Order: sequence, then C-alpha cells, then structure tokens
Amino acid sequence: MHSDSLFRDVCASTNSQMSEFTKVASTAEIPEGGKHYVELDERLIVIFRAAGDLYCLDDVCTHDGGPLGEGQLEGHEIACPRHGARFDIRTGQPLTMPATEATLVHEVKIEGDDVLVRLSI
Amino acid sequence: MTETMAATGFNDQTFDAFLASRDEPNWLTDDRRQAWQAFREFAMPSRSEEEWMRTDIRLLKLDRYRFPAAEARSDELPSSLLSAGVSVGGHAVSLDGASVEFAIHPKWASRGVLFGDLSAITAEHGETIRPHLLRHAINPKFDKFSALNGAGWSSGAVLYVPRGIVVDEPFHVHTLLSDGAADLGRILVILEEGAEATMLVEMASTIEGGDGLHAGVTELLLGPRAHLRYVSLQNWADHVWHFAHQKAVLDQDASLQWTIGALGSRLAKVNQHVDLAGKGATCQVNGTMFTEGRQHLSYHTKQHHIAPNCRSDFLYKAALQDQSRTVWRGMIEVDREAQNTDGYQRNDNLLLSQQARADSIPGLEIEADDVRCTHGSTTGRVDDEMIFYAQTRGFTRKEATRMIVTGFFQQIFDRITIESVRDALGLAISRRVREYE
Repeated sequence: MHSDSLFRDVCASTNSQMSEFTKVASTAEIPEGGKHYVELDERLIVIFRAAGDLYCLDDVCTHDGGPLGEGQLEGHEIACPRHGARFDIRTGQPLTMPATEATLVHEVKIEGDDVLVRLSI
Repeated sequence: MTETMAATGFNDQTFDAFLASRDEPNWLTDDRRQAWQAFREFAMPSRSEEEWMRTDIRLLKLDRYRFPAAEARSDELPSSLLSAGVSVGGHAVSLDGASVEFAIHPKWASRGVLFGDLSAITAEHGETIRPHLLRHAINPKFDKFSALNGAGWSSGAVLYVPRGIVVDEPFHVHTLLSDGAADLGRILVILEEGAEATMLVEMASTIEGGDGLHAGVTELLLGPRAHLRYVSLQNWADHVWHFAHQKAVLDQDASLQWTIGALGSRLAKVNQHVDLAGKGATCQVNGTMFTEGRQHLSYHTKQHHIAPNCRSDFLYKAALQDQSRTVWRGMIEVDREAQNTDGYQRNDNLLLSQQARADSIPGLEIEADDVRCTHGSTTGRVDDEMIFYAQTRGFTRKEATRMIVTGFFQQIFDRITIESVRDALGLAISRRVREYE
C-alpha cells in the first residue's frame, strides 16, 4: 500500500550522524547495473552500481523534484523518467536540459560486505 | 485511554476501537464508516498524479500515528499568538484531537450562537448541526487524507450564528499537538442569512521540533448576505505532516475575508477551495507563507465561480530560506452561468537563499464569455543593491533582510483588518529571518 516500500529505512537502527558513515546495504544487494533505495536521516537516496563502482545520489531530479532513481541508467548517466534530464551519477552534474543544477551526491564506500554512505549535507 | 486505543496505525481494529470510544448517534457512526471504507480503498497518493507530482510523501509513515483518544490529557499548554490581548466571544482548546476546554460568552449564547468542540456541540444540538455536517462541503472521498478525517475526526470546532446576528468579538480556536500525536480536527462554521462573525484558528505544537500528523478539514458555510472573517495560522513544529482540505461556500451577496499564515510543519499539502455559489458573493484570500530548513509547503487553491456577478481575489506571498520549497497551484474556474465574474489570483515568491525553490502554477478555466479574470506570479531574490543601501544607512545585513521581507509581506498585512493577526504574523515572520552572506 505504501508507495515508499522500495526504500529501506535505516534511520531507526543506526542513529547516524551527518558526518559519519552508515551501513545502508550489503554489496550483494546492489548488482552491476542495479540500484538500491535507502531512507537515511529523513532523506531519500539511491545507490547505483556502474562499471563495478557504487555511486550515491539524492533521489531527486533538480528540474522539478522527480524521482531520479526510477529512470534508465546507461553507463554513468541516469535519465529522469519525467522529462528526460540526464545526470552524471559520479558527480551529480546535469548533462542535459531541462535540469540545470546538480543533484547532491553522497560519499559511499565498501567495508567487507557492507555498503556505507555518508551524507553530504 | 484503553490499551486498544493506544495502538498505533489506522486499521480496522483501531478504527473499531475509536468508534467504541465515542458515544455517537447512528447517523454519525454510519457517516464515519462510509469515509473509513473510502480510506481503505484509497492507495497512498502517487507522484505520478499531477496533484502530488511536486510533493513527496514517501517518508510519511501513517502507521506511526493513531486515532485521537476520547479524553484530553492535562498537559501544560503553550499560549496563543493570535488572541493575546483580544477580547474574544468564545474559545476552544484541543490537544491531540481531544477537547481540553471550550466556552462561549453568555451574551452570544443567549442570542442562539453555538460555539465549541464539534463533538460536544453536535451531541447537544444534533438537529441544528447535522444537516451542515452531512452536507460534506469537503467530500470525504476526495483523497486518502480527507477520508481519514471523515472517518476519524474528533474535536475541532463549530461556530453557528443564527440569522441576522452580528457577533463583534472573534472566536478563538487553539489546536495543539504533542510530539508524535495525530490531530484529525474538523472545523465547521455556519453563518445563517445576514449573520456576521470572526474566527481565529491557530495550530501549534507543544514542543519545538515535535513530530505529528494533522489531517484536517475546514468547512465555511455562508448564507445570503453573511459576512465572515476567518484567520488560520499554521504554526506546527518542523516535523509535523500537515494535510488540510478547506472549503468555503458563499451564498448570494455573502462575503468572506480569509487570511492564512503558513509557517510551520515539515510538509504541508493544502487544498483550499472557495465556491461562489450565490449571485454577488465576494471573497478575498490573503496567504502568507514563510519556510525554512527543509520545509515543503504545497498550496492548491481553487476559486470556483458558479453564480454571476461574483468577485474573488486571491493573493499568496511566500518567502523562502535555507533549502525549503513551496508549491502554489491556483485555479480560477468560471462556469458558463457565471457571467460578470471578476476573478484575480497572484502568487509572489521571495527567495532568501540559493537553495530555496518556489513552484508557481496559476491557471484559468473559463466557460463564461463576459468575465474579467487575471492572474500573475513573480519569483525573485533579495536585491543586493537594496541590502547595500540599507547597510550604508547603518543597518546590519540581517536587519536589512528583515526590512525587505517585511516590506514584501506589507501588501498582505495591509489587507488584514484584524490588528492582533497582523502583529502576530509580522512578529513570527521577522523572528525567522536569518542572516545570509
């Protein structure tokens, strides 16, 4: 029933701080070309795996707030499903109109089998 | 409070427990059950719907909240901003959807005016209130949150002013929410033909930073030649989810001045409609929004001209700081019969930071051919030259910004005819202005 069922809420179990890395997934949960949604500190973020590496972004298109993670991933580019604005998942920078501003990227790292994220702001 | 009532979530079990906790007539219980059925059938709003496209509620967990308890706790409650120093005709206070106290001055009660907690007044004066309650100016089946209110409303307030009675003292409603609680308040104002009244409604949390859920309904029903001044100040703490459906229906030559201050909440989604249903009705809406942090306020207004010779004037102004966001979607709808309509809508936005964002979407749907309908929208940042000029006159940057923000809202303040409301809004806004470099 709930539209946010894709998102894993890690807030309650981690007591995360903005400056700290927080475990949000295991590496097996994010295969090559895959994505993983997380709620962290009341933020909706999405983690992609492309060319073997993990990238983490706000799940927000800066054009009109669309759900960026629901778009098509091609290489290191994600296209917003609403109006087609493309972003580089490595930097969050917009690559095409109608987006003109970067979406926020977050630091992500792997420790053993764990995927950890540190929010930028 | 029973153990069952303490259970969280809105499900069949908690709804049955809620009904069992209330001693209400069958007609009201049946009405609630119909709304509950609608609530069960509605999915959570999807971002693919135009209405919700810009308002993300994926982080809302309805199951964390619960139906209001039948009896209020006796917490120490915060004082009012709107009614300070004002001689009121009556007041009503509720906490977490349960009535704490209400009273009406005997001079108004003796003239047949009814005011107080909606549940209590309905129980005592069912025959008077029932037809208006069941009129459902707000359709409980509009969306999931209106259905939740239709099923689980409690407390709120009602004001009933009989024909020809002019009440020259405002009624004050103070709706309070403690951390993690829910308020499903319903406000019903009924002015019979020729009646006049003023109502001040204030929503606030008991603690700063408090969480909570408000799914409210406001229905303002104005008979012929009735005049209402209605003020609503939404000042929840910054973790409260605010969903509100508000509608006024104006009969012939009725007039409404509706002032809205929207300052609080984490996310607000408000549908505000005015039906100009009787010939010659007039309506003025003054909306003031100030957002900060990661607040998101979304207002969807509709001025629906059903009858001819009506006038509507909606002015919304928003100042945004930090990473906050507002969405304003306004519509003037003019039916084929509504000739000689004069409709106006305007939304101005002042961005105080680089990260704030305002979406403004005015619209017109006109079927009549003899109308004047205009709309406009502006969005801009604080002019650095104005700041510099003020600094050369000895003001700090913060003082200068505060003056500019106050000046931005002055057009609204000038339209507000109640001094205490003007002062409270001005003070609340100026306190929130931060310093930007």
